[in-house]
Amino acid sequence: MATPQFLSSFKYSDSLKVVAISVCTAIFCEAISWVLIYRTNSYKSLKSSIDKAAKKLETMKTDQNPNKLSTKKSKTKKIDRVETSLKESSRDLSLFKFKSGAVVALVLIVVFGLLNSLFEGKVVAKLPFKPIGIVMKMSHRGLQGEDSTDCSMVFLYFLCSISIRTNLQKFLGFSPPRGAAGAGLFPMPDPKTS
Amino acid sequence: MKETKSVKLNSQQHENGHFSPFKFAKLLDPEASWDKDQLGDVLHWIRQVVALFCGLLWGAIPVVGSIWIFIFLAISTGIIYGYYAMILKIDEEEFGGHAALLQEGLFASITLFLLAWILVYSLAHF
Repeated sequence: MATPQFLSSFKYSDSLKVVAISVCTAIFCEAISWVLIYRTNSYKSLKSSIDKAAKKLETMKTDQNPNKLSTKKSKTKKIDRVETSLKESSRDLSLFKFKSGAVVALVLIVVFGLLNSLFEGKVVAKLPFKPIGIVMKMSHRGLQGEDSTDCSMVFLYFLCSISIRTNLQKFLGFSPPRGAAGAGLFPMPDPKTS
Repeated sequence: MKETKSVKLNSQQHENGHFSPFKFAKLLDPEASWDKDQLGDVLHWIRQVVALFCGLLWGAIPVVGSIWIFIFLAISTGIIYGYYAMILKIDEEEFGGHAALLQEGLFASITLFLLAWILVYSLAHF
């Protein structure tokens, strides 16, 4: 591969290549998702209905007055209804995303294979800390030698794909609506239930 | 009643486009009314900026050792907490509690921080 002059002066110039490739992949994947999902009208209507239902639910929950015991029962019923419709819409949304998810996954696997063949057994970066456990396994995958601060392509690619993809989605407004149940990585505890 | 009105207004703004008319003065205004999405986005981007800044700084100095990951986490969480509790003075219960607010953009910021730190450290000091 032809390497520009300034790149070859770095010992770990491979790390920049990994980052550049994953930036391109992230943009490409978002483009695919845009074509298959985000520009369609059914996605837009589904998303707006989820947003609306989530907001409605929120206002209903915050409006709840503990002194009005008589109206509490009907309110709970109403909240339940909105919650069920919200869940249904979220389910539809995830089904909808499944289609493009498969294509994106395929692209990611191909790129990963390409990177693997390019940087197999190479130290692409130096870690400024000593990793432990699963991080150590990932960062030292396929590398020779005992130096635990050597970083393989796998770990760097993992970091790139998560940080770049998440921020790109957020920037373009493609991240899943907050109201959708189970959209986040961790379920949010509801303080109102306690 | 007042609250529903403001929520409606915000949702209308949001439908107009992702970047709803946004004033930077609002970022420091304790009187401003926030909607959950907007506040989440602002906290997310603050976290990313802090992560990028800390990552570049840690890499440029350079500092080594896992302890600096925890120092970054403490700084970033402290800034987020200080921002919404002291500058905006919002009631966290309205937005799903401390856990929800402090968790906003956390994972993305950790990976961004590690990426910046590792890259600068590897490129500048070897």
